[in-house]
Amino acid sequence: MSRVTAASKGLASCHLCQKVASVELDKCPRCGTALHSRKSNSLNRTLALLCTATILYIPANIWPIMITDQFGSSIESTILGGVVLLIQMDSIPVAVIIFIASVMVPVGKLLSLFYLCWTLKSGSSVSPRQRTIAYRITELIGKWSMIDVFVVSILVALVHIGKILVIRPGIASITFAALVIVTMIASKGFDPRLFWDKEAENHE
Amino acid sequence: MSMHTHSDDQMACPSCDHLYDMSGLEQGQQARCGTCNHLLATYREHAYAHVVAFSISALIFFVLACCFPFMSFKSSGMESVMTLPQAITQIKGEGMWDLAILVACFILIIPALVMALTAALGISLLAGWRNHWAKDVAKLIFHLQVWSMVEVFFIGVLVSLFKIADMATVGVGIAFWSYAAFAIFFTLALSNLDTFQTWKNLEELEP
Ligand SMILES: [Zn+2]
Repeated sequence: MSRVTAASKGLASCHLCQKVASVELDKCPRCGTALHSRKSNSLNRTLALLCTATILYIPANIWPIMITDQFGSSIESTILGGVVLLIQMDSIPVAVIIFIASVMVPVGKLLSLFYLCWTLKSGSSVSPRQRTIAYRITELIGKWSMIDVFVVSILVALVHIGKILVIRPGIASITFAALVIVTMIASKGFDPRLFWDKEAENHE
Repeated sequence: MSMHTHSDDQMACPSCDHLYDMSGLEQGQQARCGTCNHLLATYREHAYAHVVAFSISALIFFVLACCFPFMSFKSSGMESVMTLPQAITQIKGEGMWDLAILVACFILIIPALVMALTAALGISLLAGWRNHWAKDVAKLIFHLQVWSMVEVFFIGVLVSLFKIADMATVGVGIAFWSYAAFAIFFTLALSNLDTFQTWKNLEELEP
């Protein structure tokens, strides 16, 4: 028994306004957005963006995200260095938040999307429902990795006491922001309906 | 009964493509996909009145958040006070104009634009106007809202408060509380603007 999907009825749903219309139309009759049954070329686009994000991840972690000038000496700190420093200063809760937002979320998101893409190429024993839920969580948590970039921005804007104490943004702040943006575009372009299509194909 | 009127109540789940007839969904109800549990639509009571009230409140708090001091920092007998627009110019002043533009877009420009457009769309739908611009406004809102990071920024502010609390005396100003209120009203306004219902009503109001 197969499900009644829009595709099985020769229909497509507009990705912007959710209008269900004949798949033969080029444009959504309601809002004018290009109409596709599935997001076009989503697997390859997502993979290309994921590779870009993985490459960006290296400089984002090696380069300093923040530079502190205090009493004439300047200290450069990386994302991980900042977490270590916070632990040494006994600010455990802040260290945990920064570690989750800046390390676990972006790495988890990259791994999860790579895995989900891989299941589309080679099949998977995990049910489409579970993979769809995994995808939606990945999509939801994506923007939270921007926390560290905002923390740096606030510190830069606030901490400048003459020449005694100044905090400056490091080059990794922009690299990391770019990484977050690229992964957000990657997850937006991914199409979870492909899990279900693949499953239906296998049952035929 | 023609095929055309019937298809207006059809919705395909964005996650699994399952086709649903939404004509039975009533005010105050929520619909979830039975196959994948995706939240399909939430019809809130008096949705557009709430959209208008919340988005206008959000805009008022946004103006306050931009005009008043956001945070202050006191160390070695010297104090620095900053407003949100000053924060952006300070980042630009450190030579990171690209970071300044990104932060400005994510926390100020896009959220304010989304709220202004939401207020306009809400008023238009509440009044039942037949106009040519409401659809374009709705398209912009649904494109832009992904890129608003109001709530993420606010958590970032709280983290930075803890981070520098040992370093110096840190204070929060009127703009801090205004931004918090802005974030709450922003979320409430958008949660009342259901995608499916909004577009259905826009189609009915086509000039
Ligand atoms: Zn579904």
